[in-house]
Amino acid sequence: MGSNRTGWLLLAPTLIILGGFGIVPFIYVLWVSFHQWNPFGANPAMIYNGADNFRRLVFDTEFLQSVWFTMQFGFFAVVSEIVIGYLLAQLLMRDFPGKSIFRTIHTLPLIVAPIVVGSVWRLMTTPSIGIIPYYLNHWFGYQMNIGSSATAAFVTTVVMDIWHWTPLVTLTLLAAIVGLPKDPFEQAQIDGANRWQIFWHITLPMIRPAILATVFIRLMDALRTVDEIWMLTGGGPGAATRYVGLHIWKIVFPKTDYGYGSAISVIVLYLTLVMCWLLYVGLVAPRVKRST
Amino acid sequence: MNVRLKFGAAALIAGLMASTVPAFADFWSDAGAKFKGVTLHGVTESTPPSNYIKDVLAPEFEKKTGIKVEIETTSWDQMYDKAIKDMEAKTGIYDMVYIEQDIIYAYLARNFLVDITKSLKDDPSLKAPDYDESHFTTFANYFKGENGDLFGVPMEAFIKIYLYRKDLFDDPKIKEAFKAKTGKDLAPAKTHEDYTQIAEFFTEYGKANGMDLWGTTAQAHTGHPASWYEFFESVAPTFGVYNWGIDAKNNYAASVANGGTMNSDKSKAALKYWLHLRDIAPPESAASTWTEVASTFAAGRAAQGLVYGENAAWIASDADKSKVVNNVGVALPPVSDGVMADAESGKGYIGYYDGGAFGLPVTSKNKEAALLFLQYIGQDSVQSGWAVAAPRITNTATYEDPGVKDMDAKLGGYYTMLKNDGKLFAGAPPYPFHAQVREATAPIFYRILTGEVGPDEGLDQMADTAEKELKNLGYRK
Repeated sequence: MGSNRTGWLLLAPTLIILGGFGIVPFIYVLWVSFHQWNPFGANPAMIYNGADNFRRLVFDTEFLQSVWFTMQFGFFAVVSEIVIGYLLAQLLMRDFPGKSIFRTIHTLPLIVAPIVVGSVWRLMTTPSIGIIPYYLNHWFGYQMNIGSSATAAFVTTVVMDIWHWTPLVTLTLLAAIVGLPKDPFEQAQIDGANRWQIFWHITLPMIRPAILATVFIRLMDALRTVDEIWMLTGGGPGAATRYVGLHIWKIVFPKTDYGYGSAISVIVLYLTLVMCWLLYVGLVAPRVKRST
Repeated sequence: MNVRLKFGAAALIAGLMASTVPAFADFWSDAGAKFKGVTLHGVTESTPPSNYIKDVLAPEFEKKTGIKVEIETTSWDQMYDKAIKDMEAKTGIYDMVYIEQDIIYAYLARNFLVDITKSLKDDPSLKAPDYDESHFTTFANYFKGENGDLFGVPMEAFIKIYLYRKDLFDDPKIKEAFKAKTGKDLAPAKTHEDYTQIAEFFTEYGKANGMDLWGTTAQAHTGHPASWYEFFESVAPTFGVYNWGIDAKNNYAASVANGGTMNSDKSKAALKYWLHLRDIAPPESAASTWTEVASTFAAGRAAQGLVYGENAAWIASDADKSKVVNNVGVALPPVSDGVMADAESGKGYIGYYDGGAFGLPVTSKNKEAALLFLQYIGQDSVQSGWAVAAPRITNTATYEDPGVKDMDAKLGGYYTMLKNDGKLFAGAPPYPFHAQVREATAPIFYRILTGEVGPDEGLDQMADTAEKELKNLGYRK
């Protein structure tokens, strides 16, 4: 009985913080999502409108488009980060001159605020004055203009995200690789397995939990990205990079459509959970089933 | 009375006077004494006038009153985000917020702001001797409530002007080439046709001569409201489409079918004119907001353009930032037939009168101290230095100052134009739904810019969307 009370007391601060900053705001957003509420409307009061906001977003092409663009962005960014992050982690397992300097420089983007990352990339990609369009034109004759080319803008947002977040993936996978036992690898080498077989049948299954955790974290981050994109493209050209996080921000803040914005937030949370669940089912469940 | 006694009495009187006079003379130290230890927090857009407040006026005020002032200068979007969140949530973080002219109606509708006139009447002890509301220019009218009281102290006001490169326009070889090509003398355009012709000429001239020179600027960002503003506030009015094409007196109609002008023939002609200019402007135009447009002009990459007046001073005079120092001319924007007459009669306007004020949120925890600061930045004596450092005039006492007159000459007569022709320009229409309608229609506008939707079809869609949004907000019945 006494140890129970001590346990609850120890848990209390966490539960209070989680409740205050997580559960209560979520319930509030859920509550607002069932209302029409624009404080700058002729009637600034909250008006209950049932599921109208949710019905509206099913037919909202801007929202559906933003979800589709976000999924593309998330897919290309996260897959690239995992691949590059793994390769860099393998590189850092080896000794080479300047390794510690490389590791420090490689980790630097992680400490830069997203808004600053967006600003720097905007400077680097502004047509006519940015260093990237300059060299792309100088070397390949390619006129890069993120203000008019949807493809250029999309690719730039993906590359920016890769630049910013690959170090996190590298560090996570490096920690996982360092912690692997040596025996299975030695046995595989004795049995004559090649590098690809070792990677596919030993390394990958053993670091799968780390990969999965990284994919979950990065996917959730990619789905809610706002600052960098807002600073770099503002969501343009047109709506080409108006990812769902930015779409919600524009609905809730400049447009002050709190009810509808809350409904979108709830649906996006639901979509994120579904996607993570699908990933879990796809990557982990078969393994659990095989082992049972 | 003996001599010694007389001297003693005189010394006593002189001593008493010496210790009393400064207390009457220095209003600021007396008024500030009550608020020792108070720190005022303000948020504003990072512009030259705001930076002057932060770097010069706030430290001066602090020295005189002992009241500490912390001014946060940030981007336009962030400034709104922070200010509105603070006032909405009633957190009381900010004692002063920047109010751009176009947002004042929304703030007043939500009762976000303190009535400055009334507050100073209610407590005369706070009234500074050098502060007089009647000295503000007519731009202050935008910050008055229905009762005529002031809800914000005007701190910057500019007109979006037509800047042109005097060195290029006065170059004999270029003049000759222009005459040979068009049969006209090269001079700042008065009509849209002239402007287009000059823009086309210089873009071709730059290309033919291997120069980084284009015929015009264009604030045509494909994902930022700056492009929407350039069209509705600076271009469409010069074609006779006013107040974004929304008729407030006609049930907020936007579409021609319902009596609005957002998708009128004039509006469509204006958009096609502007899209053509965008196509012959420097490549960065598709990613340009007001800041980049100024940078483009300052870099000498455009022969002419519509540029916000707040940037005129540094473009014309700061050799560290601008390559066109002493080569900048100012003119009124080109207009269609009848628009100038509309503007002179008050029926219309020829461009955007931009600016802002510092307001006091009702949620502030230091209202009295903030009132002192607002008067400090509004008083006559600080205006001339401020106007020279940043090209803004909100107080009539400023125009005759010798320093301001010198600066006016450097700016090609910008201040004179502001004084004499400011009445031809107008701020944003008095809509409490400003950001809401803008955000509802802007995505379509961006698609017009990218070519996904044609200009005619796009404006039709925008007018329809604007009416739906106004209905949804409850303004349109």
